[in-house]
Amino acid sequence: MYRIGVDVGGTFTDVVAVDDDGGVTLAKAPSTPQDQSIGVLEGLSRLAERLETTLPALLGETERIVHGTTVATNALLERKGAKVGLLTTEGHRDVLEMREGLKPDRYNLRLPPDPPLVPRYLRLGVKERLRPDGHLETPLDTNSLDAAIATLDEAGVDAVAICYLHAYRDATHERASAAAVKDALPDVYVTNSADVFPQIKEFERVSTTVVNAYVGPVLDRYLGRLGERLSEAGYHGPVLIMLSHGGVALISEAIRLAAGTVLSGPAGGVAGARYSASLLGSGNLIPFDMGGTSTDISLIVDGEPTLASDRGIAGQRIALPSLDIASIGAGGGSIARVDGGGVLHVGPESAGADPGPACYGRGGNAPAVTDASLVLGFLDPENFLGGREKLDIAAAETALDGLAEQLGVDRMAAAEGVHRVVNTNMAEGIRLVSVRRGVDPRRFALLSFGGAAGIHITDVARQLEIGRVFVPRVASVLSAWGMLATDLRYEVSRTHIGDTHALDADGLRGLYAEMEADGRKRLAASFDGEIRIRRSADMRYGEQIFEIDVPLDDVDWNGDDLLDQVAARFHRRHEELFTYALPDQDVVLVNARIAAIGVLPALPAEPTADAGAPAEPFAHRRVFMGDWHQAPVYDFDALAPGQQIAGPAIVESETTTVVLRAGDRAWTTPFRWLDIEIDKGDDA
Amino acid sequence: MSANIDPITASVIRHRLTAIVEEMGEAMLRTSYSQILNSSRDFSAALCDGQCRLVAQAEHIPVHVGAMPWAAKAVADYFGDDVYPGDLFLLNDPYHGGSHLPDVTAIVPVFVAGTLAFWSMNRAHHSDIGGATHGAYNPAATEIFQEGLRIPPLRLWSKGEVRQDLADMLAVNVRHPRDFRGDLAAQIGSVRLGERRLQALVEDFGAEVVLAAGEIILDGAERQARAEVARWRDGVYHGEAYLDDDGHGRSDIAIRATVTVNGSDVEVDLSESDPQTTSFVNSSFANMRSAVAQTFAYLIDPEIPKNDGALRPLSVKAKQGTIVWADDGLPVTMCTSHCSNEIIEAVTVALAQACPDQANAGWGRRLRIAIKGKDPRNGKTFIWHMFHARPGAGASPGGDGWHTAGEWHSAGGLKFGSVEVAEVRFPLFFRRHEFRPDSGGEGTHRGGCGAEMEMVVECDGPAVANTAGDGLRYGARGIHGGKDGAPHHYVQVDARGRATDLKSKEVGIPVQPGDVFHVQSGGGGGWGDPATRSKAAHDIDLRDGLVADGQA
Repeated sequence: MYRIGVDVGGTFTDVVAVDDDGGVTLAKAPSTPQDQSIGVLEGLSRLAERLETTLPALLGETERIVHGTTVATNALLERKGAKVGLLTTEGHRDVLEMREGLKPDRYNLRLPPDPPLVPRYLRLGVKERLRPDGHLETPLDTNSLDAAIATLDEAGVDAVAICYLHAYRDATHERASAAAVKDALPDVYVTNSADVFPQIKEFERVSTTVVNAYVGPVLDRYLGRLGERLSEAGYHGPVLIMLSHGGVALISEAIRLAAGTVLSGPAGGVAGARYSASLLGSGNLIPFDMGGTSTDISLIVDGEPTLASDRGIAGQRIALPSLDIASIGAGGGSIARVDGGGVLHVGPESAGADPGPACYGRGGNAPAVTDASLVLGFLDPENFLGGREKLDIAAAETALDGLAEQLGVDRMAAAEGVHRVVNTNMAEGIRLVSVRRGVDPRRFALLSFGGAAGIHITDVARQLEIGRVFVPRVASVLSAWGMLATDLRYEVSRTHIGDTHALDADGLRGLYAEMEADGRKRLAASFDGEIRIRRSADMRYGEQIFEIDVPLDDVDWNGDDLLDQVAARFHRRHEELFTYALPDQDVVLVNARIAAIGVLPALPAEPTADAGAPAEPFAHRRVFMGDWHQAPVYDFDALAPGQQIAGPAIVESETTTVVLRAGDRAWTTPFRWLDIEIDKGDDA
Repeated sequence: MSANIDPITASVIRHRLTAIVEEMGEAMLRTSYSQILNSSRDFSAALCDGQCRLVAQAEHIPVHVGAMPWAAKAVADYFGDDVYPGDLFLLNDPYHGGSHLPDVTAIVPVFVAGTLAFWSMNRAHHSDIGGATHGAYNPAATEIFQEGLRIPPLRLWSKGEVRQDLADMLAVNVRHPRDFRGDLAAQIGSVRLGERRLQALVEDFGAEVVLAAGEIILDGAERQARAEVARWRDGVYHGEAYLDDDGHGRSDIAIRATVTVNGSDVEVDLSESDPQTTSFVNSSFANMRSAVAQTFAYLIDPEIPKNDGALRPLSVKAKQGTIVWADDGLPVTMCTSHCSNEIIEAVTVALAQACPDQANAGWGRRLRIAIKGKDPRNGKTFIWHMFHARPGAGASPGGDGWHTAGEWHSAGGLKFGSVEVAEVRFPLFFRRHEFRPDSGGEGTHRGGCGAEMEMVVECDGPAVANTAGDGLRYGARGIHGGKDGAPHHYVQVDARGRATDLKSKEVGIPVQPGDVFHVQSGGGGGWGDPATRSKAAHDIDLRDGLVADGQA
């Protein structure tokens, strides 16, 4: 039987099949943004071809499909989501558009306001009010509810979000309102905050709920179409959707919590990195995913990716726990320019895929990072993407000559300058993420994937004094592959404010037991395997505002000193993150969380290859690294396990290029990955 | 002194310097203890060179732009050559390089090859700094001594050793020594991080190259800024803005700006501003310079780095003894908002004539309420500072003003907390917290709306409120024919329904359980003639209930 991972990216849809022996087969098809399911089916057909079978036969032998989709992400980015109506507590209809008083782009006072996802006339107050202690201040007024529903009906909304004050405490009013909306508007997607994100802080809750309503109907339609196409093609097994928090869920749950899919694509990459960490036996990794327009950076600490709850996309706040992925506007298509002060910048403007860098020959004439890579000799103009594309080196040279003239340097210095600046920006981006998480990047290895990463990774590592870089053989499709190594995951959280002195241990045990039962029930509806529970809490010191996520897995829940143990975990975690703890201070537990994890069968290990005769370079190429060198070029796929390569050298595959600089040394692992030791010369 | 370095190396160093201040800011954000820092982000990180010229600044709160070099200068002037590796200096005194007392600046000298090459700096607004009232905003103050503890340039660490007695002396003079120590520790961590990163930069490139790159970076920013100003219309322009009052009996206090644009130079002359007052709306010198620098930063291309070079086209004249530059000893705590806002507005109104397509209409004013009382739920004393009900932003050539984005001096950088959290932590009940329709000034582009808040105080027994701010009579200024935004209107209503208008600078306002504060904050000014507003935009405003039917 096969398991198939499908990752829809901006340009390509990557498809990976893993068989029972761990054998990996890859295929790629162009993405089809107007209906991603077309590209998915095309990718599956190409996969069947590679496996020398038919699509129905392949699907008949497939036990599970895991899918990373950008449908929700694109709906947000392109503002093509549903027409949403919002019901709020009367007197508080503008929380969404107030944005906590913040405006992006601090010094740009000429930036016009961004229209909110729900315009004000569709944000309607309903007479009802709860106190934070659960006391009912104003009962739900059905007349005002009906009037609001009538207004939304008349406006023809596709979706309704409901978010009342303190609904994390008691969802009765929200649920009654949701039922009334469903009665009156049966075809409308309805979502309420207590079911999406039952946590205190109304802006985060309303924004998350509104995003859910905005992308829910779009995701619903897309997954409906995909299901039909797969079913027509002969597939009747489960389709699991990659979620932003790094787990997977069944389609029905993904639609219910559509806002949790906005990082579905990049989450696949992190899932792949996590799996790589376990294969490599290297618990501390920095996944470095460099594509055409941006580079995604995250952290794997002790084998687990870090989560964050302060993510946003396209200016929208989504407070659901999601993998802590930082995106830097630096990719192969990033454009280099010189500002009025003579400073060279690279990105965030990107030539994208169309027209793309000048060397794509599609009319782009601005110098991009890929143009510099070509001029420096890192890319082979005749053999880009396995020879499927030819690159126009003359166009790249012309674009760089313009830049060189502005800088008053020669062409090669300009090309190298583009690399120095973009590499600096990426290295500093990693440093910033590390500071934020309180870790030292020198203790980490870099994991290089995404089409453009291999060209830059050794230099970025050197700047960060990182000694080791891994390049998986499946680097370009790591996301699709990594999705197959994830588990079902269902997150439950409850706001439960109280300092640990005032909390009662039995109450806390009861709360977690209740959440655990809820999580188990949700999973058991569609899953009969092993379930693991991970407990954590969002906690802070009395006067602070930010909570931190405190893992509570190793707490003795039956101990008499439960509350002390919980407080001690918090102090320790605070010290790790912020270098200090204040043990005499009040500790407040704000949100209790559990993750119910449905353990899926482990991905069978890829067969290891025996050491064979080392592959010879298939060519030599002139590359510029401060000076011209004659560098050997190796075929990544031909390397023998155990083979050693010393830089300067180039390792190429159909989808990626790795640049080794002088002093760098690479070994081929038993899985035929590259394990690179970085020369820590004092080269700047 | 300029070593011959290539523009690419200079570019790389520029990006590294920017990253260093960002990291310093990030470290501060994550390690500070009090709410005003970790939530409202009222702090800045900056690097100055050995000549106290601003090289890079993290873009947190605009109010600190251009203020930091004065703090470095104050330390350099006071200590001269008596500065060593491992030293750390503090200051907050507005008459010694500071802006106002709550803003405490930590400064570390960074040595390169034995020479003082940089100052790594962090300025943070502390939640309390001693003085007669909690939080330093004291409308009754007539001398700076009633506003809090003055710290002139002071050596807190000497050659790597903390002077613990001094640290304890400072902490014992503030109301929340724990917060103070925690926030100060975060500041120290931030400037030390800057120091380490600068040293690594020097190791990578060599001292001479880094210093030469610094010159290239500043000269480059100067070229960019001058190129902008050169496009502005030459001439002499006037602008003025008014404070309602000083709270001590003087009303209509004018800030008058005469601005001369000549080629690529801009001279701002504030000498004709009204005399200083006895109250905390006076500005310190550094704060005045910062307000003018901030105005200039708002008008030029936002991409131009905020450094010494970018500010070189700008020269400033002012007269000591006026509201914008008070004599030593006078109170100044309000100045980072008032009269900063009025300085920014007066200069903007003047320069709007030189660069009409770059100037914003006025942003809303700050008017805070603080309430101190007893929480019936736990019997503890609470102190609440209002950050809610933010005023609207000024409209711009780019479009309408942002609703509830705040004042000129923070420009959408100051976050207000959750109503739900406020109800949990304080005995307050928010009946309403929404946009205030009709508050944004009309114009081709409409000013952003302020907010309307009805809040019930459910304290145990009598409580006391203070107000601090301005803008009850003068709304945010409209420009190019745009209308002014509505001014603030704050009312206290007692249990029997009797309403009292609140003044903007009052102490000791009695509050009874059940009293309601009905706050209507000001809107932003409009930009351009309202008659030219598009019908579509107006229809949307009507549909959304942001303007009353039949208006304009």
